[in-house]
Amino acid sequence: MANNTGGIEVEGTVVECLRNATFRVELENGHKVLAHISGKIRKNFIKILPFDRVLVELSPYDLNRGRILFRYRT
Amino acid sequence: MDYLHRRPDVAGRGEAFRRPDGRLFLSIDTWDDAGFALLAADMLPALPRPLYTVVDEADTDLRSRWESAGFTTRRREWEYLVPTAPGTVPVLPDVTVGPPSDELALRSLDDAIRAEVSSTVGWPEMPAEILPRPDVLDLTKYVVAESGGDYVGLVRLAAVTRQPRIGLLAVRAGRQRRGIGRALLTYVLDALHRNGVPAASAEVNEANPAAVALFEGAGARRVGSNLELVLR
Repeated sequence: MANNTGGIEVEGTVVECLRNATFRVELENGHKVLAHISGKIRKNFIKILPFDRVLVELSPYDLNRGRILFRYRT
Repeated sequence: MDYLHRRPDVAGRGEAFRRPDGRLFLSIDTWDDAGFALLAADMLPALPRPLYTVVDEADTDLRSRWESAGFTTRRREWEYLVPTAPGTVPVLPDVTVGPPSDELALRSLDDAIRAEVSSTVGWPEMPAEILPRPDVLDLTKYVVAESGGDYVGLVRLAAVTRQPRIGLLAVRAGRQRRGIGRALLTYVLDALHRNGVPAASAEVNEANPAAVALFEGAGARRVGSNLELVLR
């Protein structure tokens, strides 16, 4: 689904926490992307852990990169 | 949200939120430095000072973008992972530790602690986020220390299933330095351990040596840090 900033939003699962505040997220289609967390999540001190279900906005410039917009309650 | 800004030529957005402590926090999410600079150039002149933001210290690219916009580091919060463990709550004279049973007394303690923080260091110096208080406190999220019929200290746990977060640990001003904080933390870590939870997370202001000593004394290890940046 395209959001109002042009990015595509997809759901996925965090599979790995990496350095530089990035996460490897496996999307529902099996594709894996590197994702940062959004400013809103950071401001609210929401922790992202492996196995978390998240909503990711894909970069319009590089579909291997994304930004975590939301963490679903598990 | 108090303020939202977009530009047709930038894939991204800038937002500003006023937190319950009155401070205005910004976020700018873009995919490159140029987009960030454009949104910042639009937003910063339009907003009152001071402005704040939070970055993960390991995210050097984002930190650099904010610094290029004039933000400077105000303080650092250590992010701790606290292992749970079976423990015996220290015996303290006239103090018992356990789950609260009286919502009114818990609310009274929360009022008193908020007033003490406001009149001393102030909420902007407290670690992590400032939460608006709900109309009814959920007793299951708290452990309290009781003395002489009054609640004198509390721990609040965020209800996160896989890794609970210690959101607030506080003791009334006149009852500090008597081991009550350590007793509260021991109780919580023991209870979590018995429920099969291996660890909890917590944020501690690095400028609070008593809190740093309390958590590190409980075996907590630093797993990250957040920087609060300010533009005055």
